[in-house]
Amino acid sequence: MTEIPPAAIADLQALLGERVLTEPGALAAYGRDATPLFRHAPDVVVQPLTTEEVAGVMRIATRHRVPVTTRGAGTNLCAATVPLSGGIVLSTTRMTALTEVSRDEMLAVCQPGVTAGALNRAAAAVGLVYVPDPGSKEASTVGGNVATCAGGLRGLKYGVTRQYVLGLEAVLPDGEVIRTGGRLVKDVAGYDLTRLLVGSEGTLAVITEITMALVPNPAAARYGVAYFESMTDASEAVRDIVASGPAPATLEFMDAVCVAAVEDFAHLGLRLDAGALLLFGDDGEPDAVDRSVARMAEVCGKRATHIELAESVAAAEDLLAARRCNLPALARSGSMTILEDVTVPRPKLAEMVAFVAATAEKHGVRIGTFGHAGDGNLHPTAVVDGDDPAATAAAMAAFDEIFRHAVDLGGTITGEHGVGAAKLPYLEHRLGPEQMALLRRIKGAFDPLGLLNPGKLGS
Amino acid sequence: MSEQTSAEQTGSEQTGPGAPKGIFSKDLLDACISCGFCLPACPTYALTGQEQSSPRGRITLMRLLETGDLAPDDATLAEEASLCLGCRACETVCPAGVQYGHLLEEWRDEQWSGLKRPWIVRPLLLVANRKWVLRILGLVRRSARKRSGATGQPTLMLGCFERGLFPSVSRGIAALDPDLAVDPDQGCCGALHAHNGELEQGRDLARKLGERLPGTIVTTSGGCAAHLADVIGRERVVEASEWLLKKSTGIGTETDTNTDTNTDTNTDAAPAQRPLCVGLQDSCHLRNGLGVWKEPRELLGRTATYVELPSAGSCCGAAGTYALVRKKESRAILAKKIAEIEAADLDLVIAVNPGCLRQLQTGLRKSKSRTKAVHIVDYLRGPKV
Repeated sequence: MTEIPPAAIADLQALLGERVLTEPGALAAYGRDATPLFRHAPDVVVQPLTTEEVAGVMRIATRHRVPVTTRGAGTNLCAATVPLSGGIVLSTTRMTALTEVSRDEMLAVCQPGVTAGALNRAAAAVGLVYVPDPGSKEASTVGGNVATCAGGLRGLKYGVTRQYVLGLEAVLPDGEVIRTGGRLVKDVAGYDLTRLLVGSEGTLAVITEITMALVPNPAAARYGVAYFESMTDASEAVRDIVASGPAPATLEFMDAVCVAAVEDFAHLGLRLDAGALLLFGDDGEPDAVDRSVARMAEVCGKRATHIELAESVAAAEDLLAARRCNLPALARSGSMTILEDVTVPRPKLAEMVAFVAATAEKHGVRIGTFGHAGDGNLHPTAVVDGDDPAATAAAMAAFDEIFRHAVDLGGTITGEHGVGAAKLPYLEHRLGPEQMALLRRIKGAFDPLGLLNPGKLGS
Repeated sequence: MSEQTSAEQTGSEQTGPGAPKGIFSKDLLDACISCGFCLPACPTYALTGQEQSSPRGRITLMRLLETGDLAPDDATLAEEASLCLGCRACETVCPAGVQYGHLLEEWRDEQWSGLKRPWIVRPLLLVANRKWVLRILGLVRRSARKRSGATGQPTLMLGCFERGLFPSVSRGIAALDPDLAVDPDQGCCGALHAHNGELEQGRDLARKLGERLPGTIVTTSGGCAAHLADVIGRERVVEASEWLLKKSTGIGTETDTNTDTNTDTNTDAAPAQRPLCVGLQDSCHLRNGLGVWKEPRELLGRTATYVELPSAGSCCGAAGTYALVRKKESRAILAKKIAEIEAADLDLVIAVNPGCLRQLQTGLRKSKSRTKAVHIVDYLRGPKV
């Protein structure tokens, strides 16, 4: 554990004045993010406004050998922003300049603290969309979306954050400023450092400006819902849909535990007798969307017990709301919720779903499974009594088996939330020792002193 | 490396010097999953960008106070208990249904107990606590006079400071609805107390008011409505705009009720004296606590060109005693609001709560605006005789 030298705090105060927090209560508030079970307070929190100030903070950190953990809104679910070694939390929440939204070039340029919601509204004003669509989009920052490579409900057709980052400005630990990529659609000069920084969780550099590609707002969107007797049937329907034509925008499913929790919470009129619910939808030109949704309904028809198409925007909103409120609806039934994020190759989806259910039963843990079925991305979510250490341990033991099984099926330990501190113990199982060693060498090339977000990727 | 970041070694949530202190209701505190969805809804987080000034951050502080991990005299605890507006905007976006307003009341009950209460709040609580003072205030300022209403009709709540600050409001609603009973021998509803560290007294006052005034109670103050409903039950409390819309007493067209009242312009049906262009400032507790926000808009839309202010639903900085306790922040929040009203070039901005009304009047007067702030009852009653 680092004890921060008083001189470092004095230097930070000389640089940032009142935007340096040292009160114990304030520091404690920065000791956690949206991930349960991980907590460690920093020694100091700084709120820079500009790239120059970030560079100044990094020079001070390097001079005094103090760790720096960059934090946006702290909505991540993998303890990526918990400062495990103390030191400095560099908060980007006041770096909120939205420099440019260009319809002509279909891109935006902004500081990292702009929220995904704010960027989306600015894009919508000129008929464009900011694609990353995490559940936390109103609160989470663009910088955080980039640093964790956030996904969301549109991932199947549109991909994740990675596909949209055109360029980055970032500050290296010694205070040097680099600019990777830029506004160009095509640019293969050098290693793709932009993509290396996306998803690097603040372990390589501090991102200070993002050039983000935007896409035109689709003219139409339609949704429907199909009910199945089992998650296996739903998973097989997903496989058939994916195989039958172009990828649709949305293919989300939830198991009976989730359907019951959501219905109890939101009263949307969902069918409680089903074993699984599949939400399907697409966007684009109106007639293409109609064809796509009809095709999905037809494919589902082979196995589904019931199918409903949303005939109005309000009905579609209800369906999307049902999917989005999964986590909180589940959370109401226990004092602690552990949300996970495994992904498997889509043909293995049914098998993985069955394994999750069996593992939950084996360990006596209540796990609801929902997720982005079209991507093979599952969010098994354990609801436990946080006051009961045995219950927490049982949930952790179940997840341990679930992670390992996902990897054994050719899948991964995280589809869109990130590795952070929560998944780091499983990373080697996913990547193997050779890649882990390479990750550490890459980390060393950027951050030889190991100051950026220690205890996370590259440690 | 695989063990270094396990939960056990980073410290679990249960580590704390002692047993729970019982300051907070456990189920209320447990409900928060720390997802952070509340951050963009919080006006004070918008001011500071700091985690401890957000609802989630404050709940972290409450948990640490409860477990003893933060000392009761911790400076951040004191600062944040007072910096919070208590507007409850976070509750409307909370997916987990956290009752933040109740948590804040429990927190201040501890944090602001006895001599730790901001000094400026103390005389207000004392005054509001004394029924005879309010009675004299009402007499001197000529708030609505005693009368028995029609059988089975509600009784008007006169409020505490509203009786002195805006007596025309109670006169106004009594004129708009002649069936309302008025009983000047009533006390304060206790919202002021509940929000300022006297939770039990605040509830007690609400219960007493509920016993004194039988049946349904109509109130012209959004903040009081929410507190009263919380204690004596929602079914017994009706806020003025809800009530007037239900009764449609002389509001809008003469023939009223089901006609197409969705007028975008000032039609000949509206009285000539009425201004063309009105906006609304929601009462936070009315909107966020009771979910009443459509009703005043409907009433205004019937009688004028209604303009939705971009931040109509967020706090104006009055927030009960906040404008007294946190002058600087209250003014900063108000300044944005006034700029918005000026940009909309309104004739009138309507308030549904006396605190908001006073705050807006102060701000508009200082900026020498042509816009006037008016209580919805005064507005609907029209120019007084």
